[in-house]
Amino acid sequence: MITVLVTVLSLLVASSMGSFKVSIVDYFLNLSSSLENKVLEQIRLPRVLLAGLVGASLGISGASLQGLFRNPLADPGLIGVSAGAALGASIIIVLGSSYIPDYLFGPFILPLSAILGAALVIYLLYLFTKGFGYQGVTYMLLVGIAVNALASVGIGILTFISSDSELRGLTFWTMGSFGAANWSLVLPAIIIVVTTISLLIPYSRQLDLLQLGEPEAYRLGVDVKGLKFRVIISSAIIVGISVSLSGMIGFVGLVVPHLMRLLGGVNHNYLLPASAFFGASIMIIADLLSRILIQPAELPVGLLTSAIGAPFFLWLIFRIRKT
Amino acid sequence: MTIKLKNISYTASGFKILENVSLNIKRGEILSLIGPNGAGKSTLLNVATGDLEPSSGTVIYNDQDLKQLNIVERSFYRAVMSQSQQIVFDFSVQEIIEMGWVDRGLPNYSKNFDKAVKEVTTLCDLENLLNRKFNKLSGGEQRRVHFARTLLQLWRPSEAKDPLFMLLDEPTANLDLYYEIRLMEIIKLKAAEGIGIFLILHDLNLAARYSDRIAIINEGNIIKIDKPISALDPVLLKKIYNLDMTYDKKTNKVSYF
Repeated sequence: MITVLVTVLSLLVASSMGSFKVSIVDYFLNLSSSLENKVLEQIRLPRVLLAGLVGASLGISGASLQGLFRNPLADPGLIGVSAGAALGASIIIVLGSSYIPDYLFGPFILPLSAILGAALVIYLLYLFTKGFGYQGVTYMLLVGIAVNALASVGIGILTFISSDSELRGLTFWTMGSFGAANWSLVLPAIIIVVTTISLLIPYSRQLDLLQLGEPEAYRLGVDVKGLKFRVIISSAIIVGISVSLSGMIGFVGLVVPHLMRLLGGVNHNYLLPASAFFGASIMIIADLLSRILIQPAELPVGLLTSAIGAPFFLWLIFRIRKT
Repeated sequence: MTIKLKNISYTASGFKILENVSLNIKRGEILSLIGPNGAGKSTLLNVATGDLEPSSGTVIYNDQDLKQLNIVERSFYRAVMSQSQQIVFDFSVQEIIEMGWVDRGLPNYSKNFDKAVKEVTTLCDLENLLNRKFNKLSGGEQRRVHFARTLLQLWRPSEAKDPLFMLLDEPTANLDLYYEIRLMEIIKLKAAEGIGIFLILHDLNLAARYSDRIAIINEGNIIKIDKPISALDPVLLKKIYNLDMTYDKKTNKVSYF
């Protein structure tokens, strides 16, 4: 409940603040100018919503993957999906301009290619684990690490052959930003991500039961294979879409579920929605900070989340070792 | 109403673990499975639960082939407790127990949730631990919590007529003497309520005292299945355990040193 409030509040605050200030109260009272309305509706709002969407995606997929792998250090990046999306996007950034004419897909070409990359990784995972079968989660993590390494090789090659301006584009993309948000990209993303999340949440009890171990979960009536399939596919879809629209944003998927567990317990029925809402709030606030800290320039938001997330991650490892 | 194992063989990587084993687990009966390490006890139990699919042979639950029951239906008829895995996240004892509740969808079932949780908690003496973190408990206490969860899975309102079975792999492991006896008494109580119980035991005296029948397994074969008084034959026990044993029929006790 509190996390929902925080999300709404951060949404409102972030919409009004920035290098161009628009009072949200004026907007609702119809006192704002048409320029202010335009900034709010066409630039600020899609951007803030996208930030929230990406945060929610990373938060909830982090929570559900940590549950699925029964490993507090799991993260959407770990199964290689983000890397696949990154490779797809990098191909477009470096090769796109010379081989694909602009009129073909327009602004959709980058996200489409990233989603394709994410989908390819899922397909590889599916293939190597024989349909997300019973080989155990460690195996799947290892496959994820290998896929990650392969994707980095691809990105490395692209970096090597890229021109200076492409290299700059690539570098900034890997640091993450919501600057490119517009309604034609954000609206379909919202619909897909919200649908996927609402299909994922009913499985929270099964994720709880899975914590007893795969055999125990089966004995309590959980179709473990089906559950793995659902959680991984859902995470891949929402993370693939998020990464494709915002670039690489680190540590949110890892850190947010932990904070939520510390605050309200480990029950997935609470944890999944809480992580989604809190992830959204954190990302909206991080994006706000990235916009206002060094005005009129912008910090890459991924840089900010990693700067805060990495020390937290260290603290987490430290804490786990102590207990 | 029974669980019937018919001509079960189980082979894993070319190694025959079970060979043509047949066994019936009847309702209201305590059937103990004893035998040395590596005899195939856990494998046999896991075939009965449906965890493992036998290489040949059939498992029948109440006249239905186990293969025809889906995963959820299976959880309605049998609860299992075995060597448990470590739980990573900090669940409370109450949360772990409540995981045993399967949504049976019978009339008067769901609304009895709180009552059922309280009942199994009291029965297993866990009231004082309910709010503790599961991971902070001792090994024996954790076993008792899992046992309570297993009991909750089989909780039914008194008018329900589900045929129920409990399959337990060394339920007394890690328990102190008091709770060892306490757990066996609860098992006896549940058998009296009509639940069929199949359990692996290492303590031959517990098996002698509480079982209606004892099955002795060695090298993947059931070599004897009978009432304790006839099953616990010192000559046979000497052969499979490689230990000199005596069995006093009057006191129903086995001694091996």
